[in-house]
Amino acid sequence: MIVVKDVCKRYGDFTALEDISLEFSNGLYGLLAPNGAGKTTLIKMLATLISPSSGEIQYNGENIVAMDQRYRELLGFLPQQFGFYKNYSPAQYLFYLAALKGISKQQAQVKIDELLAKVALSDVKHKKMKKFSGGMIQRVGIAQALLNDPKILILDEPTAGLDPKERARFRHLLTDLARDRLVIISTHIVSDIESIANEIIMIKNKRLLYKDSVEQICETLRDAVYETTVDFSQLDEFRKRFVLLSEKQEYGKMIVRFIHKGEKEEGWIPVQPQLEDVFLYEYQDEMVEEL
Amino acid sequence: MRILWNEMKKILTWKSLLLLLIINCILYFFLIDFYIKHFPNGRPALDSYRIGIEMIEKYGTSMNDEEFQDFRKVYEARVEEADRYLQTEKVAVSEGIDTYAKFNSYDWSSASKEAGELRDRLFFEEGTDLFWELQERNRLIGFYDGKKMYPSDITPAQKQRYEELAKEGIFGTYPEVAIRNFQDYITNVAVAILFSVVAVISPMILEDRTRHVVPLQYTSKKGRNVLKTKLLASFLSTLLVITSLLVIYLSLYSLNDTSVYFNVRINSFIGNESWYNPTFLQYILFTIGGIYLVGIAFGLAAMGFSTIVPNTLTLLGVQIPFVAGFLIFALNRIITFPMNMWFPKWQMPVFYGLLLLSSMFFVWYVNRREKKMDITI
Repeated sequence: MIVVKDVCKRYGDFTALEDISLEFSNGLYGLLAPNGAGKTTLIKMLATLISPSSGEIQYNGENIVAMDQRYRELLGFLPQQFGFYKNYSPAQYLFYLAALKGISKQQAQVKIDELLAKVALSDVKHKKMKKFSGGMIQRVGIAQALLNDPKILILDEPTAGLDPKERARFRHLLTDLARDRLVIISTHIVSDIESIANEIIMIKNKRLLYKDSVEQICETLRDAVYETTVDFSQLDEFRKRFVLLSEKQEYGKMIVRFIHKGEKEEGWIPVQPQLEDVFLYEYQDEMVEEL
Repeated sequence: MRILWNEMKKILTWKSLLLLLIINCILYFFLIDFYIKHFPNGRPALDSYRIGIEMIEKYGTSMNDEEFQDFRKVYEARVEEADRYLQTEKVAVSEGIDTYAKFNSYDWSSASKEAGELRDRLFFEEGTDLFWELQERNRLIGFYDGKKMYPSDITPAQKQRYEELAKEGIFGTYPEVAIRNFQDYITNVAVAILFSVVAVISPMILEDRTRHVVPLQYTSKKGRNVLKTKLLASFLSTLLVITSLLVIYLSLYSLNDTSVYFNVRINSFIGNESWYNPTFLQYILFTIGGIYLVGIAFGLAAMGFSTIVPNTLTLLGVQIPFVAGFLIFALNRIITFPMNMWFPKWQMPVFYGLLLLSSMFFVWYVNRREKKMDITI
């Protein structure tokens, strides 16, 4: 079990994360927040690439930094920007990383074949990676994270560059993996984790906002999400009054999904809140800033 | 071992070997080739080289006064030969230069056309070695006669060293053509090796960072200790590059055929007064050691910079002042003339020590820094 205890991370005057306390046991955790919210900082602290400015992270009661290679032996990590040598083939590169992970040549041989088959790259295992698409590179990244059969699998934006079919395959893979290990996925794409995560962690204003199941998080917007039809002429006014979650054009009118915490008006249809609704609602300010 | 080998393979790629080839081809043809192709470089350098060999074969690697008297006799016999030769030349007789002494003291700045033609014929057209050889023998005798003289504007330490050498009977007696050639040659070889090491070693550690491979390496079982392996791989690659280039360049040097001079002590070469007195061969070996040391120091520095700077351009920019500074201020002092009396005695060991210690400290510092550093890329 990983315990994050009162962790803060500061870079000079800038605070990236403040007072984060979390507990992870086996299962799949989705770290959901918009870009720049501090997901990667937390992920990198869990991967020992960054040290907390205060607080500590423990694995089974022991500080992960102090555990040194005993902790890293348990770790599989895919960084946000997966680095590789463009003149290496996937097989060559995985052999290189297998050596760093302390896996013998014979074991690596078997494992690499198995993993490349799993990520559908067996046909190109000896081709140079410089000719690969973004999705193929990302699949090599996923394969390398699994090389040492990790007990803790940390993936930072793992679906970047994957097409819908690859994403679906990836979700299945993660569901299988999360049965007997801890998987933490950082993403800003709700659909990547909505259906598979046991728990979602959301960070807002550098602090922990939620750590709960999808259902419980959605409960926070119970009786507050509606859909209605609006004339184009009224749309601007409507946008000013409510937090719009989605807009869809149909038969010359707009069907809007929005949040309203108060009395329901006529013509509004209450709908079941989705994780995406919570995400859009909670991070509306950040998103306006981003725009 | 597997990790070390992998890291070495990342340094010694076809691309880096090609870069090595290009650097060395350019520098060879611009700086080095001359000292092989043109050794001995014309006349009387050729005569100097030949007479030196004759002296070693006849008198050994040092000469006493008695042996030098014999050398003088040979000179006199050759002068007589030149006299006889000149007496057979009508122009020489008519111009009053029918002996070598007269030929030598003749005012060549206002020479008649015939005399000028005679001189050109003797020196350049007929291919006779005699007159060139006499010039050189005369020069060597001149140096021997003035062997106990030393410059007046010298430090007490230099004066003491001159006196020590004189007391031990060590004087600059043998022609310096071979050792000068080696000094010029090895200086330029050192430049080529220095550039090669910096060019080959610099990119490796930096490339791992710019390609975002570091997070994968540091989260593996090996973890941040991989930097030590990278540094070791860089160090071994530095040794490999230096050794390979030295093998090639010293094989080329062997074409100069100076091995006869190898047992002559360096203070016995004209104008080569030194603080220490190894044989020419020992001096060559010392210089090779010096090149290894400089190469390793710059290799270590390149590794250090490679760990800190953000990109290749900065990496080159940072190293240029160090390399240029070394070439301008230190190359002469620790590679070309490491033992020469014209530089203070402390200078060479202090320079080598500083070079090695500072680069070792730098590597220690970056390794320590990397251990605790946040990897934010």
